[in-house]
Amino acid sequence: MKTILAAALLALGAGGARADVTVLGWPGGPEEVALRATVEDYNKLPSVAADDKVKLIFFSRDNFWDKLQADLAAGTAEFDANLTATYAVGRYAPFMEPIDLPASAHAAFSDGVLKTMQFEGKQYGVPTDLSLHFMYYRSDLIAKLLSDPAWKAKYTEIAQAKLGKALVPKDPDQWNWDDYAATALFFTKSINPDSPTRYGTVLQMKNLLFNMMVWHSTARSYGGNWEDTSGAITVDGPGYRAGLELYKKLYDAGTSPKDSLSYEYAEANAAFGSGQAATMLQWNAAFGDLDNAEKTPAVAGKIGTVAPPAGPDGRFTHIHGLGLGLNASSKHKAGAIKFLDWLASPEAMTIYAKAGGSPALQPDIVATLAKDRPDLVKLGTFAGQYGFVMNGATSAKALQIYELQAKEFTGYWAGTETEDAALKATATGMAALLKK
Amino acid sequence: MTARADGWVMIAPLTAFLLLMLALPFAVDCIYAISRVSFETLRAPRIVGLQNFAIVLRDGEFWGAMLFSLRFALLVTAAEILLALALAIFLAPLLARFPWLMAPLLLPTMVAPALVGLMYRLVLHEFVGAVPYYFVLLTGDSPSFLGPDSAFWTLATIETLQWTPFALLILYTAYQSIPTEVREAAALDGPGPWQMLRLIELPLMRPALLAVGFIRFIDSFRVFDNVYTLTGAGAGGSTTTISIYIYEAFFRRNDIGVAVAASMILLAVAFALLTLVLRWSERPA
Repeated sequence: MKTILAAALLALGAGGARADVTVLGWPGGPEEVALRATVEDYNKLPSVAADDKVKLIFFSRDNFWDKLQADLAAGTAEFDANLTATYAVGRYAPFMEPIDLPASAHAAFSDGVLKTMQFEGKQYGVPTDLSLHFMYYRSDLIAKLLSDPAWKAKYTEIAQAKLGKALVPKDPDQWNWDDYAATALFFTKSINPDSPTRYGTVLQMKNLLFNMMVWHSTARSYGGNWEDTSGAITVDGPGYRAGLELYKKLYDAGTSPKDSLSYEYAEANAAFGSGQAATMLQWNAAFGDLDNAEKTPAVAGKIGTVAPPAGPDGRFTHIHGLGLGLNASSKHKAGAIKFLDWLASPEAMTIYAKAGGSPALQPDIVATLAKDRPDLVKLGTFAGQYGFVMNGATSAKALQIYELQAKEFTGYWAGTETEDAALKATATGMAALLKK
Repeated sequence: MTARADGWVMIAPLTAFLLLMLALPFAVDCIYAISRVSFETLRAPRIVGLQNFAIVLRDGEFWGAMLFSLRFALLVTAAEILLALALAIFLAPLLARFPWLMAPLLLPTMVAPALVGLMYRLVLHEFVGAVPYYFVLLTGDSPSFLGPDSAFWTLATIETLQWTPFALLILYTAYQSIPTEVREAAALDGPGPWQMLRLIELPLMRPALLAVGFIRFIDSFRVFDNVYTLTGAGAGGSTTTISIYIYEAFFRRNDIGVAVAASMILLAVAFALLTLVLRWSERPA
């Protein structure tokens, strides 16, 4: 009996001593699949000690960032490394520990991409995924619009009547926002009864911070920004106004579904995926599912993607990164740092990209992945050519500012608030948030 | 051990549980309500007196959320009670004969409200939802269910559909428990069905009506899950309930002191309301 008890205690002791590195990842999407595959390979490496093997955990996506905030603030040691994001780096920085990435990280990522995980000059994470926006369009419909004389004439007639400009159809890669608006109007059945789709576009207008990121690609191209170079708040300016008015005009004209004010990522994908919307400004991550014939048979194989249309200030797409960083309360920091160092290497990122992740990698690595992941070439190109982060959008209060803008601007789009009032309240609120 | 000591021993676990799970968090809340505190300073709140209460009471969004919650709760409570009362009376003979029918009627209350919200996000979606599909099929168009003008009514309808069965259960039980002799005695005076309902049955059901009204009012006043998953705070904050206001102050604005002060005000309102209802229900019929 004594022997059995001793053996049991020994086993318990051994179990207690084996402290895996626990990593909290972004759940339920290609990021999770990619991270699982990458960790599986990491754990097989002979140089990884049994104590340093990585175990993954995932919360639900719903209110993920709030749950993470509560856990980090409570000083949890349940995970050693956790997700962070460009727009939340400042929010979580007080509860995380900066990391010094090895030289191999520079072989994998450009300085610009590494900066998406920096706060006050310190590196808080390995940038595993980059998100930006594509203008999705129905390639079959646009092809007909560019070649059918009757459709061309109708397009010009509608553009003249609704926008006051006699526009002609153009290739989507040449669009400015007027061309996008004219296309949205043309493919709206209530405006053009011959339209094969019910709506010309689908706008994500729910009071939600991520929808602001999508809209910022429009605002920025009109010259809008949070702050100027001196730090003065500039949202109440012509750039923001033009972007706000474009969305309102398109929504009021009925080019986007009636419930667009409650639409976010999933609803917009469902609308476009049904084949009843001709265009959509959406995150790059949506492409895989939309172009999958089993998941969205109505549009798969008939989707084109380009960078968002140009405005007077040029062509822009919001970018932000997701990444993994070190929990300051971790009890297994050495093991977690070892994993993060490896994760930032070209070898690990190649595994991650092949498994479905979307890292923005150095051109020589992307070239080796082009056959398996052609979309990463576009991701890298668009990020380099059109990517932007609003001035101040990595500050500690960035998330609150996104929330504030979402509340005020959706009020304007819904018609419950004037544009002047919404912009004034935004500027005042931002000043208060940035002052604290 | 004396009987008195036995009593202390027996009640000790429950007392400890209540102290740990209710009294301790309440004490922490009392401190936070009068402190400037955020996630970064959870362990070091700075006492600011009644400042948080002043901020809340001067905040137009707080009053907007209170008004939304009040309108929502009054409408939903009235609709649920009226529907449940009608169903309890009309279904009484059927339920008396087949009591098991109450089980399927209660099914909606068994679904988590957050799931109800997610379910209706699908059901009402113009391109994948069943309801818009039939609207388009029959009328050629589908109305906006979650637009700025209709979101309130859609949310109220969903809440009513989910919780009317709960009211039905209580009101049916109260209706069934009216003694047969009372009805027989009243019938001797020859009242019509409406007179029987208004003068005999409803007064006897008053405690149940008040109880269900109070429970449903408080429940729908502090509604969060299904509203949050369906519309969030709504365009321009148009569907911000008082619970969403508190949640956003806590998590989104990181103003924990303000969020706790707002929830203290909510607690005081609920307590006052409960006292009123209890006094009213004690009055003779």
